[in-house]
Amino acid sequence: MSGNSNMKFLYAGIAIALLLSVLAPFLASSDPDGLESAAGGVVEESKMSEIEEMEPAVSSPMPDYAIEGMGKSGEVLAIAVGTIAVLAISFGFGKVFNKKA
Amino acid sequence: MHIPDSFMPLSQAIVYWVIALPFIIMSMKWAKNDLDEMKVPVLAALAAGIFAIQAMNIPIGMGTSGHMVGATLVAIVFGSPWAGVLVLTLVLLVQGFAFGDGGITTMGANILNMGIISGFVGYYTYVALRKSTGTSIAAFGGAWLGLFISSIVCAVQMWIAGTFPLVPGLIAMGTYHLIIGFVGEGLITAVVITAIAKSRPDLLEDNFTVRPEKSKKEAHA
Repeated sequence: MSGNSNMKFLYAGIAIALLLSVLAPFLASSDPDGLESAAGGVVEESKMSEIEEMEPAVSSPMPDYAIEGMGKSGEVLAIAVGTIAVLAISFGFGKVFNKKA
Repeated sequence: MHIPDSFMPLSQAIVYWVIALPFIIMSMKWAKNDLDEMKVPVLAALAAGIFAIQAMNIPIGMGTSGHMVGATLVAIVFGSPWAGVLVLTLVLLVQGFAFGDGGITTMGANILNMGIISGFVGYYTYVALRKSTGTSIAAFGGAWLGLFISSIVCAVQMWIAGTFPLVPGLIAMGTYHLIIGFVGEGLITAVVITAIAKSRPDLLEDNFTVRPEKSKKEAHA
C-alpha cells in the first residue's frame, strides 16, 4: 500500500490526540476563553444576564465536553469520543473525495 | 473564540453562513483535486489532533484562557489554506453539534473566523516570511498573526451584532488573543511544523506534491 509511511503518521496522530484527550480535563484551564472574558469585561450586566439566559439553538448531547454525572472520567470520555468522531469523519470524507485511488 | 448562538442575531449569523459557504465548497474542491491516498491519513491525523488540542485551554493570566485553532498549521502542511478551511469546518461541526462549543446558527461566523481568516492570513504570512526567516519563525509569525486578525474580526462582528461596544471590545479581544496567539497558536504551530520538517520533510507542502518517485509509485498502486 502506497500510503504506508503516512499510515504511521496517522497512528502517531491518533496516539497523540488520545493522549491529549486524557490529559485535557486535568490540565485545561477552567478560566473563560478570550471571547467569554471579553464579554464579561465589556458587556453591560443587564445585557450579559440576558445573553446567559438564552438557550443554544440546538441542544448538544455532551455540552461543555462533559457527560452529566460522570465527573472527570466523563470529560475524558467525551473528548475521546469527539477525537475519534473527528478522525472518522475526516478519514471518511477524505476517502470519499479521493477519487484517484 | 467560538461564538455561541446568544452572541449574535440570527439574521447576521445567516449572513456569515452565506459568506462562509463558497469557501467551504472551495475547500471541498481542493479535497477533490488535491487529496490522494497518501494525504488522507495525514489530514485525518491532523484533524483529530487539532480537535483534542482545542480541548486544552491554556491559562494566559488576567483570568483568561485560550486554545489553539490550527488552521495555519494544516495549511502549511498541505501547502494550501483550503486544507485549513476544510479541517476547521469538520472540527467545528463536531464541536458545535456534539459539544455545544460554538452555536449552530453562528457556525458560519466561526468557520469564517477560525477556518478562513485565521488560515488564509496565517498561511500567506508564512509564505511571505519563509524565505527570509526560515520555516520555524515563519510558522510562528503566520500562526500568531492569523489568530490575532481573526480575533479582531470577531470583535467587529460582536460590535455589529450589538453585543460588544467597539473600542473596548477591540481592546479586550486584541489583548487576550495577542497572548493566546503567541502561546497557544504561534509556539505550538512552530514546534509541530519544525518537528515535521525535521522528521518527515517530504510531508511539507512543496515536497508533498512534487515528489516524482512517490507519485509514480502511487500510479502503480
